[in-house]
This record gives sequence, structure tokens and C-alpha cells, in this order.
Amino acid sequence: MGGGGFTMEERSPALDRLVLTLTGTPVPKICFLPTASGDGREQTTRFYERFSTWPCEPSVVSLFHLGRDRIVDPAAHLLAQDAIYVGGGSMRNMLAVWREHGIDEAMRLAWERGVVLAGLSAGAMCWFQGGVTMSGGAPRPAPGLHLLDGSMSVHLDGEPERLPTYREAVATGALPDGYAVDDCAALLFAGTQLRTCVASRSGARVIQVRADGHGAATELAQTVKLLPGAESSLPGQDTAAAPAAEPYGVSELRALRAGRNRWE
Amino acid sequence: MQGFRDKPNLSVMSTRPPQIVAFGGGGFSMEWGNPLLDDHVLTLAVVQRPKVCFLPTASGDADHYVVRFYRAFAAPRCEPSHISLFRRETGVGDPRAHLLDQDVIYVGGGSLVSLMGTWRAHELDLALYEAWRAGVVLCGGSAGSLCWFSHALSSFHEGPARQLEGLGFLPWSNAVHYCDEPGRRSAYLSAVAEGMPPGYGVGDAAALHFVGTDLHEVVSSRPGARARYVYSDESGTASERDLPVRYLGEPAVVTDVLDSEPLAA
Repeated sequence: MGGGGFTMEERSPALDRLVLTLTGTPVPKICFLPTASGDGREQTTRFYERFSTWPCEPSVVSLFHLGRDRIVDPAAHLLAQDAIYVGGGSMRNMLAVWREHGIDEAMRLAWERGVVLAGLSAGAMCWFQGGVTMSGGAPRPAPGLHLLDGSMSVHLDGEPERLPTYREAVATGALPDGYAVDDCAALLFAGTQLRTCVASRSGARVIQVRADGHGAATELAQTVKLLPGAESSLPGQDTAAAPAAEPYGVSELRALRAGRNRWE
Repeated sequence: MQGFRDKPNLSVMSTRPPQIVAFGGGGFSMEWGNPLLDDHVLTLAVVQRPKVCFLPTASGDADHYVVRFYRAFAAPRCEPSHISLFRRETGVGDPRAHLLDQDVIYVGGGSLVSLMGTWRAHELDLALYEAWRAGVVLCGGSAGSLCWFSHALSSFHEGPARQLEGLGFLPWSNAVHYCDEPGRRSAYLSAVAEGMPPGYGVGDAAALHFVGTDLHEVVSSRPGARARYVYSDESGTASERDLPVRYLGEPAVVTDVLDSEPLAA
């Protein structure tokens, strides 16, 4: 997710619900990791607020308060989940803290086993080779876990100062080709393949950014599908720049929820 | 922690000796209303209105912790600031320069493992070493104590007791909330018996004051607070020795840290 979901107080729960849907399990175990925010209490509260109302088993791993949460082995806890949802904040801090706790390895294992990995902002870019982080103040390219090839830049609309840095990094090869993603839009990968771009708000964009081989970058808007339950655009909102968003059909949604391990 | 001893240009020692005050527990976050330990640290800065920077990293930069720091270290008696490594887009631009400009650096409690990872990601480990060598007084409780030592016994923030590594400025091991948390003392004794370097088990309200890497004295904000030196003999049995503790609530003769002999370890 380029942004959106419960931590950003988004009204539409469509992206959050998609995470549960993708597990293909009636009552999935979903664990939230707020590491990038320093395990902020507010994110944790909002996670339970949203997910407690749905059929699922929500839990939170706080790497700053392991004793308090009584989760003795965070890596083992993550591997026992159907979905892992990673919050936003400082990508640099999150990855550094994950390394200390061995969570980076646990994430790779979980992914290989078919646990759905989701997240926004730092929790989205971390799966790629790299992204654009503000962890040091100004926007800067930073490496991720490299489960997915390519790169990602988030909050395309919410924090426009990231895009010039991203464009430059892709043009010069500091980051590989990838996607700049609006708040409320998300990339859905099956294995290492981008399957579709979805959104919980009409007009939310995904832009592919590629190096043109001559020191510049080209940008290509992607087709974004609206999720069921997405917010319709506000009156007067200009969505002309984005390709027409068509909503998801029932059959496509069924295909999306086909079940775990279907990527293999 | 490798490499600190290899860093160049750290031979320029100021007239202030390197000092660390490691609380077993206490200070504003644990003993609200009892400022004895915090006040003692301020006096070590030997300036009228010391610059004190709070590092709440081990708590994940918890807002409530930062607020309590500013209430405890109010502006009239010092110049307080803090660095949030989770919100670098606001606040202090250059953490290293800011830390080197301080008189006191106060490290908050929480998770030592998460603290170390975050500090390394921002190279604060190196900056803190420079600050220490330059005479900035380093202090803190819980994870804010453990971090200065080469080895540490985890506190309750990490779940069950286990051995961890700190920055290694002090070549000893350390256990905090000693005798205050069930199981910590026995876990520390076993760890030292099994080969963890000798070190200090420090109870709540007690604080070790190191000058250089030598223990200068143990102070406390409560009568009866305890600190023990823990070592293992040749047979591999861990032993403890009670250290003399000076209660800061009594009028005391202040000794000059440069003139006095270190407490034998």
C-alpha cells in the first residue's frame, strides 16, 4: 500500500479487508508489526479497533515491549500467522530492529510458506530491493528486504517530495525500476509477479517508473481496480489524469481469494 | 562492539574525564518526585545550566516518556532537548553534532536489542563514543544502563532473561532491577558462572558512577538500595560482593573524581 488502511484513519476498510481475503482462510490469524513507528500505541489500538470486528485472530508483536506482550519468540509467532501486516514509519529503523531480532529472516520464511505479507509506507517498501525513505529527514533511497525485485515509492499524493528523489534514483540506477503509489492504492503480488493494482478510493494512482537507459526515467500510469467497498470520488475531484478505474467483479474477487500457497 | 578503539582523532581529551552513571532503575521515569539521581547527574556536568539531551530510543521514542523527561528536566535548571530517531523529519538535523554539544546524555529504558539496532542504523553508537571520550556525561536506567557495558543480562522488556551485547564502553557485564525482579539475580549469577564477564548487579534506586572504565562510587536515591559486584572464581562458581552505597539524601562531602582512587573491582 502506498498509504491507507487503518493506521491512516482511512474510512474505507477495503484494503484491510483484502489482506484477510487473500489468506483464503475463514478465520485467519493476522499479526500487526508497528516496529517502524517505534511500536506506537495508537497504531496498535487502531489495529484492534478495525480487526476485532472481523472474523480473524488479531495479535500484535511489539519488539520494544516483548516482555509486556508475553510473546516469547516473535519469529515463531510470525511463522504461525496467515497474514502479517506491517505499519508505517521509519523504514531504516524498522529494518535495523528486525535484523537484531531475526525478523528479516522470519519474514522471508513466512513469505515462502504462503503467509500473506502486507503493509503500508515503510511496511510496503520493505519487501522490495529498495524504496525512498524519510528516515533520515530528507527523502533518500534505501535498501529493503528484497523479497520482490524492483523498487517502490509511497505516498505519491500525500508526500509529493518523494517523487523527484525516486525519479532521480531510478534514472541513475541507484534504485531499480518500480512503482510510485498513491495513498489508498496498493500493488498485489503473487509470488514475485505483480498481479494487479487495487485501490480503496477512486482516483488513487499507481505509476510505473523506469530508467530509459539515457539517464532519465519514464513514467507510465497503471490501471487500478477499485476494491468492493471503496470510497467513490468526491464531487469535483479530478481523476482525469488516472486511467479509468473499473471496480472488481465478483469472479475476479473469487479468484483473488483462491487460497494460500496458490502462488507455487 | 568492534572498532571503537580503532577510531582516529579521539585522543583529544577534554579536561572533563569520560563519565557514565548507570542506574539499576530510578530517575524520573521510575521515581517520579524523587530527583536525587537525576540531580546528581546534573551536578557532574559542572556547568551552571547543563545541556541535557534525552534519547528515548529503547522505548521506540514513546511520546509520554519524552513529555515526562521535559517535565523532570525543566528549563530553569538545564537546557533540555531530545532526539527521536523515529521522527527524523522533524527535530534535530544532525544527531552527532547535537550529541557532541551536550553536557549530559540521558538514555531512557526499554528494549536493549531494539535500541542497539536503531542506534547503529543512525551511527549513534559512534557518536556516543565520541561524546563519552569528550567528557559528555552519559547516563540512564534499565536499557539506558545496560547499553554502556560489553555484556548485559536482558531486563523484562525482552521477555525471559538472556545474554545481550551492549556498546562495550565499559568492559564489564551489567544486570539491572537486580533483586527487584524475580529471577534476574539467579539468571545473572548463572550467566557469570557460565563465562559472562564479571560485572555489576544493580538494584532499583542505585547507580554506578564510572570515571573512565573504573567504578568511582555507587550512589542511591533511597536508603538501602543495593549494588553488587558479581564474579566467578576458578571453580566456575559465581560470587557476589556488596558494594558500599552512598545515599544522596544525606549531606555528603563531594569528592573530586580526578583525585580519588577508583573502587577496586
